[in-house]
Amino acid sequence: MATKSVLNDFRQVQRATALIQLGARLQVLESVTDLSYERLLRLYKEVAGQSPSKGQLPFSTDWFLTWQPNIHASLFINLYRYLDKASALDDIDVIMKAYSLYSEQVGQCAVEPLLSITRAWRLVQFIDNQMLTVTPCTRCGGHFVTDIYVNPRTHVCGLCAPPARAGKSAGAGGIHLH
Amino acid sequence: MNKDQLLSDIREANLTYLMLAQNLIRSDRTEALFRLGLSEDSADLIAQLSPAQILKLSQNNLLLCRFRVDDDLVWSLLTSHTTATTEAGAAGKLHASILMAGRFAEAL
Repeated sequence: MATKSVLNDFRQVQRATALIQLGARLQVLESVTDLSYERLLRLYKEVAGQSPSKGQLPFSTDWFLTWQPNIHASLFINLYRYLDKASALDDIDVIMKAYSLYSEQVGQCAVEPLLSITRAWRLVQFIDNQMLTVTPCTRCGGHFVTDIYVNPRTHVCGLCAPPARAGKSAGAGGIHLH
Repeated sequence: MNKDQLLSDIREANLTYLMLAQNLIRSDRTEALFRLGLSEDSADLIAQLSPAQILKLSQNNLLLCRFRVDDDLVWSLLTSHTTATTEAGAAGKLHASILMAGRFAEAL
């Protein structure tokens, strides 16, 4: 940074605060803002009222491919891609908007939001780096998060053809099929 | 219900729709584009309408808004589960949401 702009600094703090409120991990904040680690840590404690959780970020692409998380991830990515096309916002702002729309849609169906903002941010990165991709289902035409090696001519999504034991869990807040 | 009353209902729906659309666009443009399923151009147009223009536009015997999906699959997903338990309806509703969000990404 050649000159330190106060206005820019303010925007960064505002963005970081919004992300902390959505439940983002400290690593996400470090990556999407130019603020120093110390300032972010102080901001985090002030906003969340507790120390940030430690340890590595979830790094597995497999999580997004299991039945229930896949539905959540696919809903998020469809919202993200729509907003990304429709608006000229920064990437992280689009992620935040898509995430709040996602939480709203899921909450309306009385399902717990399985996808955290950190995972949502990782998902966008995974797709950008072609570790995961989005493939249309051949039956319903909806776009779903898949492995990059999936054959698009035969791909059927987890909602058109649910796996045998899917949707049978007794836990509240999950997606149920009967 | 006579014809005059039906027509005035249509005008009222038009007015409500336009006012709601304008409020949505003004409070959060990006989100409004998604919620309304409108193109950017029409959203700009609606945002700039004056109250008098809105009133004039709504005095029409045709509805100004229409269904956002012409798709049997989405309709059956949205309607078929309403009689079943709400728990089972969640999967269908989420499926429909995924499909609807995807359609717009394609259409733009």
